Amino acid sequence: MVDFAESTKMAVKTLAANRLRSALTMLGIIIGNASVITMVGVGEGAREYAAGQFESLGPNVLFIIPGSPASQNRTLERPRALTFEDSEAIATQVPTVDSVAPQLVTQQTVVAGNLNTNSTITGVTPEFTTVRSFEVDAGRFITDEDVERGTRVVVLGPDLADSLFPSESPIGQTLRIRNVSFEVIGVLEAKGAFLGDNQDDIAYTPLTTLSSQITGNTSPYGLEISFISVMARDEQSMTAAQFQIQNLLRLRHRIVDEDSFTVRNQKDALELIGNVTGALTVMLAAIAGISLLVGGIGIMNIMLVSVRERTQEIGLRKAIGASEQDILTQFMIEATILAALGGAVGTLAGSGGIMLVSALTPLAAGVSTTAVIVAVCVSGGIGLFFGVVPARQAAKLDPIVALRSA
Amino acid sequence: MKDIIRFQDISKIYGSGNTEVRALSHVNLTVQEGEYCSIMGPSGSGKSTAMNIIGCLDRPTSGRYELDGTDVAQLSDADLAIIRNRKIGFVFQQFHLLAQLSALENVMLPMVYASLPQRERQERAAEALTKVGLGNRMNNRPNQLSGGQQQRVAIARAIVNQPVLLLADEPTGALDSHTTQEVMSIFAELNATGITVVMVTHEPEVARLTQRVVWFRDGEVMHDHMAPEDLGQLTVVT
Repeated sequence: MVDFAESTKMAVKTLAANRLRSALTMLGIIIGNASVITMVGVGEGAREYAAGQFESLGPNVLFIIPGSPASQNRTLERPRALTFEDSEAIATQVPTVDSVAPQLVTQQTVVAGNLNTNSTITGVTPEFTTVRSFEVDAGRFITDEDVERGTRVVVLGPDLADSLFPSESPIGQTLRIRNVSFEVIGVLEAKGAFLGDNQDDIAYTPLTTLSSQITGNTSPYGLEISFISVMARDEQSMTAAQFQIQNLLRLRHRIVDEDSFTVRNQKDALELIGNVTGALTVMLAAIAGISLLVGGIGIMNIMLVSVRERTQEIGLRKAIGASEQDILTQFMIEATILAALGGAVGTLAGSGGIMLVSALTPLAAGVSTTAVIVAVCVSGGIGLFFGVVPARQAAKLDPIVALRSA
Repeated sequence: MKDIIRFQDISKIYGSGNTEVRALSHVNLTVQEGEYCSIMGPSGSGKSTAMNIIGCLDRPTSGRYELDGTDVAQLSDADLAIIRNRKIGFVFQQFHLLAQLSALENVMLPMVYASLPQRERQERAAEALTKVGLGNRMNNRPNQLSGGQQQRVAIARAIVNQPVLLLADEPTGALDSHTTQEVMSIFAELNATGITVVMVTHEPEVARLTQRVVWFRDGEVMHDHMAPEDLGQLTVVT
């Protein structure tokens, strides 16, 4: 019996003697591996990106939106609105809540001098910055006094500030929203986009001002708002807060059957996104895995041709003393080297692809160590598996027949 | 003198029933240590089958075959591989050198399967190549060598494991008359050093250079120890 190192040396020599063929044989495995690594990496990147986006909403945040969970997205019926009073009730009566930020959202044309833009205007209370983790870059944010007195002041997102006041400091300037003039009192720090939505081109006014001067929305139950953001005391009290808010609102709205509102937990959203991207990653990896399998079949194919072509060599090796086991080992090693080397090259190519994706898109795709290990091991295994048939065929060759075939 | 080859009542039958072919029929043959012997016969005479059995590439259907005192008829395939490696040196008509290996590496190949250490392999391969007069072409690939030189590399490969028997199958079949002489003189030299040589050939002028001719016909040994003058007559018959 020839030892393993010796068989490997012989296999390497043979593969090196047919460089082009070896390279082409590996191609299938290379592509398979590269796609596995890239797909898994991009999938992970997408998941992390989504997670990061939800983190940026602020920690431990719950959202209360009008409409029952069942009716979400499938009814035109207008659900009972949430009110400013609802939000104040939550702030004062729910013990697991840290702060509550009611928000009233509307689209309006904003005019400053001769510049104008269509923009989202959000009516807020001072708690907004705490709950949603916004920071003021210049000037100040809206205060309780602003909300109480309904002052006509506005805080701008940095992008909106830049487009309305390109050459001067916006603080102290005046702008008009639906012919009502507002004084700019502050500019927020850049926050970036949330799932592709720019959060930096929004104007913030006191909730009461926006309601009374611009939207004029009233409901029989009080000052109507769009939704409420709530920050729980800590991560552990999220579930409790959700439950308590639900109970409180059911009492306040005198609900006996279906809720007219939905309390959304950002963790739920995260989990949903995780599930979706996870399923997507598995699917992509499965497709890539199939190409890996096809690559393995390619190796088997070429190895079978190679056995046929090298019949005389095999016959000679047997005549001069190679046992069946020796021939089997040699061909198995050849197949495994092809597959494992293809796996390694494919991994490098996949890592390159991931770097390209990271450079060109906001997805911070990373090379997953698990994916690399799995891909290389699977390739090696595929080489072993698909090497068996050709190697057995080689080992079983009758040396007399093999030597006479010319 | 000890017997290297001893065939006792060897038969080889291919197929069965109506398609049965009796390639060898109750052959008795003994070759002693140091002999230089050629096997001749028309095609289908059984000489190739005899050759394959002598070389442990095939097993007889019945009978007893002792190679260098070992009964090899009942050995496993793996054991036969070892016997071929240690006791027999093969030389083929088509040389069968591996194209991707140098002359030296080709000669080292049998020692790879004998699991000898790398250094010893190199030394012995170089020695064997020098013996066949190719000490200066060791690093050439087969395609950089002439036919005669390639056959000499093959002979060096055959003797490198110091076999008890050098078995050549039409060793000059692919060579011109000049290189045939060259190769035959190497066989003669090797035989002079005590190696037993058995070769299958269909060329009378080659057989004439050996000391003993065994003539096969219809699966049987028809003549043994033929006189050179009879050889001429018999070839006419075929």
